[in-house]
Amino acid sequence: MTIDNAAPAGGSILVVGGGISGLTTTLEAAEVGYEVFLVEKNPSLGGRVSQLNQYFPKLCPPTCGLEINYRRLKDSKNIKVFTLAEVEKVEGAPGNYTATIKISPRYVNEHCTCCGECEKVCEGEIDNEYNLGMNKSKAAYLPNNMAFPQRYVLSPSINPEDAKKCAEACKYGAIDLEMEAKIITVNVGAVVWATGWTPYDATKIDNLGFGKYQNVVTNMMLERMAAKNGPTAGKIMRPSDEKAPATIAFAQCAGSRDENHLSYCSYICCMASLKHATYIREQYPDAKITIYYIDLRTPGYKYEKFYKQLKEDKNVFFVKGKVAEVSEASNGNITVVAEDAVTGEKKRETVDMLVLATGMAPSLADNKPQADLKFNAEGFIVNDFEKGGMFGAGCANKPADVVSSNQNATGMALKAIQSLRR
Amino acid sequence: MSEKYLAQPDLDFIHEVIGLGGDTLKKCFQCATCSVACPIAPENSPFPRKEMIAASWGLKDKLIGNADIWLCHECGDCTTLCPRGAAPGDVMGAIRSIAISEYAQPKVLAKAVNDRSQLPKLIAVPAIWLALMAFITVFMGDFMAKIFNVFGVHWYHGDHGGEVIAHANFISSWLVDATFVPLLTASLVVFALGLKRFVSDIHENAVLNGKTDKAELNFKELVMSTIRVIPTILLHKKFNECGENNSRATSHMMLLYGFVGCAIVTGIFFVVLYIFGIPGPYSQLNPVKWLGNVSGILIILGATLLIKDRMAKKSETSTFKDWYLLALVAGLGITGLLSEMTRLGGAKYLTYLVYYIHLIFVFNLFAFLPFSKMAHFVYRTVALGYAEYANRK
Repeated sequence: MTIDNAAPAGGSILVVGGGISGLTTTLEAAEVGYEVFLVEKNPSLGGRVSQLNQYFPKLCPPTCGLEINYRRLKDSKNIKVFTLAEVEKVEGAPGNYTATIKISPRYVNEHCTCCGECEKVCEGEIDNEYNLGMNKSKAAYLPNNMAFPQRYVLSPSINPEDAKKCAEACKYGAIDLEMEAKIITVNVGAVVWATGWTPYDATKIDNLGFGKYQNVVTNMMLERMAAKNGPTAGKIMRPSDEKAPATIAFAQCAGSRDENHLSYCSYICCMASLKHATYIREQYPDAKITIYYIDLRTPGYKYEKFYKQLKEDKNVFFVKGKVAEVSEASNGNITVVAEDAVTGEKKRETVDMLVLATGMAPSLADNKPQADLKFNAEGFIVNDFEKGGMFGAGCANKPADVVSSNQNATGMALKAIQSLRR
Repeated sequence: MSEKYLAQPDLDFIHEVIGLGGDTLKKCFQCATCSVACPIAPENSPFPRKEMIAASWGLKDKLIGNADIWLCHECGDCTTLCPRGAAPGDVMGAIRSIAISEYAQPKVLAKAVNDRSQLPKLIAVPAIWLALMAFITVFMGDFMAKIFNVFGVHWYHGDHGGEVIAHANFISSWLVDATFVPLLTASLVVFALGLKRFVSDIHENAVLNGKTDKAELNFKELVMSTIRVIPTILLHKKFNECGENNSRATSHMMLLYGFVGCAIVTGIFFVVLYIFGIPGPYSQLNPVKWLGNVSGILIILGATLLIKDRMAKKSETSTFKDWYLLALVAGLGITGLLSEMTRLGGAKYLTYLVYYIHLIFVFNLFAFLPFSKMAHFVYRTVALGYAEYANRK
């Protein structure tokens, strides 16, 4: 944190996406003296990591990594953060880009103290996107308890009555209903796209029953359930009757490595399910867990060790065979069918809850920006280092874990800097 | 599974599978989705996941004598769900094709029937032979009549005073039957020899892989079981469980009934001609004739629907073996009905020509029965019977 002493550097960098990768690129570039504009479309930074209960490699809670990054962000004079902002287009060439950014109104200004009075008086509710729609929040809400900036936001769909009540309830004059969307342009020498990923829409996988049966959930839903700031306050329970699940199955490669869905391996889902097994084992020492897989991908020494430790667990079972059929049994229980490729037997197991290890779809896949970017068939950004200027970082570039994303994002900070100094 | 099994990869076999429509074979990564997707695979040792790995490793011995490949009806549910586009359904079809060639003797003929470049020969042989038969009938009738008279048998079957057009006037029914009866007999012998090996192989395979509770093969019980599955086959009970290609079950059923109908009609008229000495053409009011006509229509309808289905399907690979059979079946039906219609319409020479072509198709059907994809009706029936006998569940 040597900002004040940093040598002045020429040129600015635009970072699109304020998740763990975008934060890393922003901070690494800013801390060596470059001006960075960080654009985040959500009301808070933090991205997917902020939705996790714990993350690899050390199973830290997300506050652990995010807090220090936010702290660095606050310390830096070189960073300008725009939330609720989206890049509409980027024109120009490496070293000289003009980016058009649309900033949506938050209706809450910097006077907000997070007292929560507006939330109390607001009656209308919206789907809580931070919790993947598993519960509702008021239309005047704090994105999450570690949101950055720590500031409330009014949903654009808030009804005018509620909005007025909120404005009246605010003692600090923080609610500004006159706020309007605005368009700004910034001139930068390089753009780093750290636009991340979206959980693959599990309703598209028709043979796995998500959306049809209540007790089929996705891995990210389980993550939210396990998190203390989640919809169940950290208690893993099955959605139909809030019962503590005694038997849980995991279906790996739910949509990943599948030409009909995502043709690639999403990299982290095997580790995610192993991690989820530890969540469940901690909460319910008697729960039985079966993980159905094609092959478990636990790359590297640390992940391999994690897998080995879990294999020792007498309550965790591994079945080599992909779940290909799911149906509902009595009481909302779920029956999964797979062929155990080791014994050659078709295996039917009825469990309390099924977790689909869904993969990562690149956020830009269906929403390509107007910018000189190259994408592969799957929608990941293909970097052209010869040309330079614009780069994809983290999961916008390839499916990755947090560690690899951060390494990649650091590298892209350097690539961006090189584009400025050519 | 035998512990002492020594894998003997047969690379040619792999190429053969790939060439016969299983070109996607190597994409398989053994996720086992297919075995679950298959609506008719048994619970113990389901197919086709294990067949996919055996095929890509070239383990021919594990596949050819494996009854499971015949339990598959190639409905394509596995192919649809396959995450790799490895099309297990097509691979199973290719393996079956190799199995047919493997059990049919002589090998040369089996090869030729499945080789596109040999098709002209397969048509030329019957074309020349039947032309010779026509020549004898048309130009040497009096001579033949004299010879037949020596034995006290009438040569002419079709002469109704020259008033009625009879195909027998163009190719004598004596010569037609002298061609096809031995041909069919030969085919049945080839089947019998093939089946003998087939049954012992599938039993050995089932015992080795724990797919049966019977240690010794009881032939009589197997026959009884095979008879027991006939209603299942006639009703296409297994085929109808398919999700993806359900419509194909109906088309196939039409074909099956069409062929059964034609076989019955042929049998009845054979008896009428040779035992009761009443030659055709028979009256259109005769119920047997109705059955024949309906059967012909069923064959044409079924074949047309199946061809349409195959042409529309992008996900399914169709190779020469598939088109050969479909063309044969459609050709049989169309020329069969056309020869009747042209005869009734009084177009003498046209009807002779159509009849001649029809007989070429019939020759292909009978002579190549044990070598073409058509042989499936024998192997699948026996395999279904064996599964019933072996308690395959």
